[in-house]
Amino acid sequence: MTYAIKVEHLSKRYIIRHGASASSLKEVVEHLRRKLLTKISSKQQNATRDPFEITVEEFWALNDVSFEIPKGAKLGVMGRNGAGKSTLLKILSHITEPTSGKVSIQGDISSLLEVGTGFHPELSGRENVFLNGAVLGMSRLEIVRKFDEIVAFSEIEQFIDTPFKRYSSGMQVRLAFSVAAHLEPDILILDEILAVGDVAFQKKCLRKMEEISQSGATIVFVNHGVEAIRQFCNQAIVLEKGRLVLNTTDIEQAITLYLGE
Amino acid sequence: MKSMQTIEAGILAKDYWKRLWDRRELMYYLTRRDLIIRYKQTFVGIAWVAIRPFLTMVVFTVIFGSIANLDSNGLPYSFIVMAGILPWYLFSNLFGDTSNCLIANANMLTKVYFPRLVFPVTILLVGLVDFMVAFLLLVAMMLWYQIVPSWQIIFIPFFIFLTAAFGVGLGLMAATLNVKFRDFQQLIPFALQLGIYLSPVGYLNQLVPRRWEIIYSLNPLAGIINGFRWCLVPQSIPLYWPAVLLSTVVALVVLVLGIKIFRHAEDRFADTI
Repeated sequence: MTYAIKVEHLSKRYIIRHGASASSLKEVVEHLRRKLLTKISSKQQNATRDPFEITVEEFWALNDVSFEIPKGAKLGVMGRNGAGKSTLLKILSHITEPTSGKVSIQGDISSLLEVGTGFHPELSGRENVFLNGAVLGMSRLEIVRKFDEIVAFSEIEQFIDTPFKRYSSGMQVRLAFSVAAHLEPDILILDEILAVGDVAFQKKCLRKMEEISQSGATIVFVNHGVEAIRQFCNQAIVLEKGRLVLNTTDIEQAITLYLGE
Repeated sequence: MKSMQTIEAGILAKDYWKRLWDRRELMYYLTRRDLIIRYKQTFVGIAWVAIRPFLTMVVFTVIFGSIANLDSNGLPYSFIVMAGILPWYLFSNLFGDTSNCLIANANMLTKVYFPRLVFPVTILLVGLVDFMVAFLLLVAMMLWYQIVPSWQIIFIPFFIFLTAAFGVGLGLMAATLNVKFRDFQQLIPFALQLGIYLSPVGYLNQLVPRRWEIIYSLNPLAGIINGFRWCLVPQSIPLYWPAVLLSTVVALVVLVLGIKIFRHAEDRFADTI
């Protein structure tokens, strides 16, 4: 079987600065000034710690991760907060670059790291569908073609020309998910999208994901609740502190490991 | 087999301009968004685009024309001011908005990938639309004062280009710095407030003593605004060549440098912001 995504020795390093946050010009200037001063008067070696001293620490959000996702798989990504799930998805989505390692992807990739990115409260539902579709990479023609379907799925037909800010939060989520659900990528990346919406709509989302999967798409799915993963996924990986600790098709084993951590 | 792609360090820089062009529909919808939302829930709506330059024109005409009684080379003072305000507002809108574009769209920046130059291009398009509306105001004034343009008016697009290049170029540099140092968010509006007086918006640059003229022209907007007025009324406003030349060089250098700096830092925006 051919792969949809092949991840090889993927690592991502973040630099964390302690002491001064180096986020304002003043702090940087002050830091440089002190550095210069200590260089000039090196005899003045006092033991007190410089409050503007910037110490740097490396943090590996992902550390030498390798795995393969076969075409058509439904991969669940599990791990605690800070395990590297979001970093992995951000790299797959092109938002951030890996420090080292390589990912090979076969097919078009669409990712939904957040429901409703780019939605604007002042615009109507209709205008937002077109804007958000464009943000997610759909062409205008594609949106026009799917527009009725998108609106029908979201069940807010009668409010489609109302400003988005007047929608209830449930309606906002339904419309936003609905746009994303009508992407037709070969690979779909989903981050915590079920965290929003009520139970009925969550079920509808899962059905839609199943439908997308059956059309041959590969799905990478991050979810904190294990129930949706148990129900939906046929492969799972578990991340812990940036390292891959398990890659299996035995979902129960992965869930046990994740919960037992 | 479907399209094959690889992700590794340095990959985002490849095929950049093609990827930007592929996102032209996104730029269209973002431009639309910015134009629509700005005047939602306002009473006079799009008319605000014209009201702002108009009121500035009235105030400057009173202060510089009637009170200070500055020379206007025989032209209506309000027309002189308006012809200075147009390029100034184009510049200041582009510079100000571009410098802020990454922070304003931080949420999109960390959740969706597309070439980040999409934002500055959107701001450029919005700025040009605003400019066109204000330009109609200027045309109306020319009709009112019966000022007949000469053939030199064909150079107007050149000076619009210089204004945009300088504003966007500076904006790109500031936007890149803004991601890390929010100080620029405070500094730029202040600089623009002063800049309108340092540039020949409310007065003609002939007012500056001859021997200071070249130093005064180190501000690229001096040459640009002078050139813009010359396009409209060449018989009354002499063109100061050295300034135009200097402005052209500076504007182009700033634009190229701005794009370089922005592109260089772009891949890390999502990590730093």
